[in-house]
Amino acid sequence: MNFKKVGVVYRKELLEVLRDKRTLFATLILPVLLYPLLIVGFNSIMTRQTAVMEEQGATIAINDSVGNAVSRLLAEEIGTIDNYNLVPFTATTNQLYEDKDVHAIVSIGDSLGADGTQFYKVYVQYDKSKDRSRIVFDKLYDSFKASEKKLQKQQLQASGINPEFLDLISVRERDTSTAQKKMGMLLGMFLPYIMIIMLLSGASTVAADLVAGEKERRTLETLLVSSAARQELVFGKYLTIITLAMVNVVVNLFSISFSLKFMLANSAAEMSGVQMPISAILILLMAMIPLATFFAALLLSISTFSRNMKEAKTYEQPILWVAMMMAMVSFLPAVEMNNLMALIPVINIALLFKAVMINEYALSHLLITIGSTLVLDVLAIWATIKLFTSESVLFRSEDDSGSLKAVGKNKNNFFNPFYGLVYFSLALIALYYLGTYWQGKDLMSGLLKTQVFIIALPVYAIIRLLKLKEKEILRIKMPKATELLLIPFIAIPAAIIVSVISQLINIIFPFPPKYVEMLSKLFTMDASVWKVFLVMAVAPGICEEYLFRGFIIRFFEKYGTKVAIVLSALLFAAFHLDPFRFVPVFLLGLLLGYLTLRSGSLVNSMLSHTINNGLALVLVTYGSSAWLKPLISGEDSLHYWLIIPAVIVFTGAIYLFHKVTEKGVPECAE
Amino acid sequence: MIKVMNLSKEFPKKDGTVFSAVDDICFEAKDSEIVCLLGVNGAGKTTTMRILSTIFKPSSGTAEIQGYDIQKNAQHVRENLGFLTGDTGLYNRLRGSEFIRYFGRLYGVAEKTIDARIKEMADMLDMHDFLDKKIEFMSTGMKQKVSIVRSIIHDPPVMIFDEPTSGLDILTARNIVSFIRECKQRGKCVLFSTHIMREAERLADRIVMIHKGKILANGTLDELRIVSEQTDLDDIFVYYVNKFTDETEVLAHEF
Ligand SMILES: Nc1ncnc2c1ncn2[C@@H]1O[C@H](COP(=O)(O)OP(=O)(O)OP(=O)(O)O)[C@@H](O)[C@H]1O
Ligand SMILES: [Mg+2]
Repeated sequence: MNFKKVGVVYRKELLEVLRDKRTLFATLILPVLLYPLLIVGFNSIMTRQTAVMEEQGATIAINDSVGNAVSRLLAEEIGTIDNYNLVPFTATTNQLYEDKDVHAIVSIGDSLGADGTQFYKVYVQYDKSKDRSRIVFDKLYDSFKASEKKLQKQQLQASGINPEFLDLISVRERDTSTAQKKMGMLLGMFLPYIMIIMLLSGASTVAADLVAGEKERRTLETLLVSSAARQELVFGKYLTIITLAMVNVVVNLFSISFSLKFMLANSAAEMSGVQMPISAILILLMAMIPLATFFAALLLSISTFSRNMKEAKTYEQPILWVAMMMAMVSFLPAVEMNNLMALIPVINIALLFKAVMINEYALSHLLITIGSTLVLDVLAIWATIKLFTSESVLFRSEDDSGSLKAVGKNKNNFFNPFYGLVYFSLALIALYYLGTYWQGKDLMSGLLKTQVFIIALPVYAIIRLLKLKEKEILRIKMPKATELLLIPFIAIPAAIIVSVISQLINIIFPFPPKYVEMLSKLFTMDASVWKVFLVMAVAPGICEEYLFRGFIIRFFEKYGTKVAIVLSALLFAAFHLDPFRFVPVFLLGLLLGYLTLRSGSLVNSMLSHTINNGLALVLVTYGSSAWLKPLISGEDSLHYWLIIPAVIVFTGAIYLFHKVTEKGVPECAE
Repeated sequence: MIKVMNLSKEFPKKDGTVFSAVDDICFEAKDSEIVCLLGVNGAGKTTTMRILSTIFKPSSGTAEIQGYDIQKNAQHVRENLGFLTGDTGLYNRLRGSEFIRYFGRLYGVAEKTIDARIKEMADMLDMHDFLDKKIEFMSTGMKQKVSIVRSIIHDPPVMIFDEPTSGLDILTARNIVSFIRECKQRGKCVLFSTHIMREAERLADRIVMIHKGKILANGTLDELRIVSEQTDLDDIFVYYVNKFTDETEVLAHEF
């Protein structure tokens, strides 16, 4: 790659952006104007609202059950508040209160102390959820306290004591530290959200234009025939998006800072000492860079994939929504940064942000955040470069074999990724609502019903409906005896390898204890071993294979065997709705996909899946019995050394499997 | 030099079958030679040229530009090729000179050379008046001239122009035609496409007739005249198209 050419592309794209008044307005001018207007405007409206409420006054019902000089004084004092009028408590008062014609009901009672002193108790009934009622209460409270002081002074004077005694110590507060803290907390909540949104909007204004826009304006072809390499073009454009996203963030941040500063300087004395933590903001800007690179890469690949700007914007939409929702995590007080959270894009930055604001961030989190983001960056950039070299994406032909009409003509057109994803989503929704409901009612039968009615039967129904050849499409055929014989030697070590891997993952990203409890409940159901084996091992082995390796994998086979295996494994892992088991289930999915496509027989993966689940069951059920002891450390974890024999046996068995299925190749290449 | 060997290109169709836009074609264009790809709308001219420019991958067969294979050596092909399609867009927000310079830099041409070449070609194509105008405000002819300069800013030995004069007035078109002759004079290999017979007649050393993705005829104007026993290129073209239709019908009957 020639960096000079990357620079040429980058400079030209920036020049074009600078000459585009709309982008310029959205990224530079708007934020500079927006925040001062927003903050000043909001502030003045707030002040005005409060003033209006103060002027409004209130109607107070007095229920005076004491009726002496003191209680009358209390009522009189309320009457002296501006715009407050008093009504006596009658039978209709409660109704008036409901109708909001009376804003508060004050009941005055009394009691006698041990030495005969008369104490007064005042009950105030009001609606605390209403701003206006709260103001009423505050005023009433102040009024009562003023009355109290008046009475106390009278008493003191009567006893010959100087009434000034009551004001012996006067306390005034000027508390700047709380204001500072409040500010930090508030900023910690809002800033990450605002900055992530700004970053996204900055990136998305140009991303769609950069490739999809070039397709639309028919300039991409000229670019592609030039001798600049694809990577050079991609990187030049990539840097442009990052730059714009970061510029947008910086401009917005400065605009927010200045208008806040301005507002604080002009506000009441108690806030005047508050400072914006500039050093923290600089760290945060640095932390935004990985996020910017990630979104730039993602949006660029979308832009490249899309036919035109409109399509690109449509694809961008859901991503922006999801990202915004994830950014909202900064509003949740309970969520804190840990190693797992540091893996999830957007959320990791939002939480890192929050941690930086209160000065409590761990270096490891920062490193994991940057590391995981880099991995995703590389993937997205790689995909974009691939797309850039793919003629079908740059000049999409009118191949819409996925349309319903085309499916009507040729049923095999049904198996395209779009329908695959639609089917998968529907199954997932059914699993989430119906499956959870069934399992909640009765775990055992619920699990079985889920396997049969949600996972397997709908596939069968569709195959029938489209009159497809079930055996051929789903690869239902008896494998060779040698293959079946090899399966245990593959499945058992694979299960061990996968368990050890998930144990390792558990060390870095510990499962929450609640989760472990829930999982073990699942495995130790109150039923005979054989029933549990049927529900937890045999049924998933048959039904899930029927769906994923039989049906789902077919939708992706037009992109080649490898892609089909990986995608079906990803969906298989996602289907388990469990982030903690995602990696192990994905690995298992890869193996099962390979077994089926390589041998052309679903039975192989069904058997393998059953053995795998069965082993997990054995581990949980008999983990504490003597004959398993040598293999197990702790409660139900395997010894790490087991991975060595497992890998050896696994490699050997896979090698043999590969050999005996040599003839199966044409079937899966097709 | 361009060498096309059994080149085919198929596009997937709506109903899942494929459509042959270019069907097993062979021809050559030597240095200092202008070859015209002549055919009606949809004949496969643009598709052929796009394959030669490495934008499309051929379904089968291959081609060479200056001895470089279009698939195995795409990078070298692009370096040695100037390619202009009829309907390419330009960056509206750039000025003419900025646009040309951008591509010059992408081809790795030195700044000084770019300046010199822009000046030289602006002289030839008479474009000094609008070179610093924003492309947005240029007329079709001005844009076309900018595009031509853009396509050959790196002074490539092989030039492919897809309908270079379409949509232009007579004077501008003549300007461009004489420019192409000038290129030949300098030893370039030029392949251009058109469906305007007069242009082919006036400019081409050799004419390759293409119809429904197949080559009907390939030769100098005189050779074609002799074979078809017609003088006018219009008539020659109709002669070959009729011959082709008859042959395919006969074929259809045989099967
Ligand atoms: N990307 C594509 N996808 C599908 N079909 C295409 C594609 N590009 C071209 N075709 C088809 O290939 C055939 C040849 O098109 P091509 O553009 O090469 O014709 P042409 O000779 O350049 O015509 P014209 O004189 O109108 O420019 C047409 O039928 C066209 O529909
Ligand atoms: Mg054309």
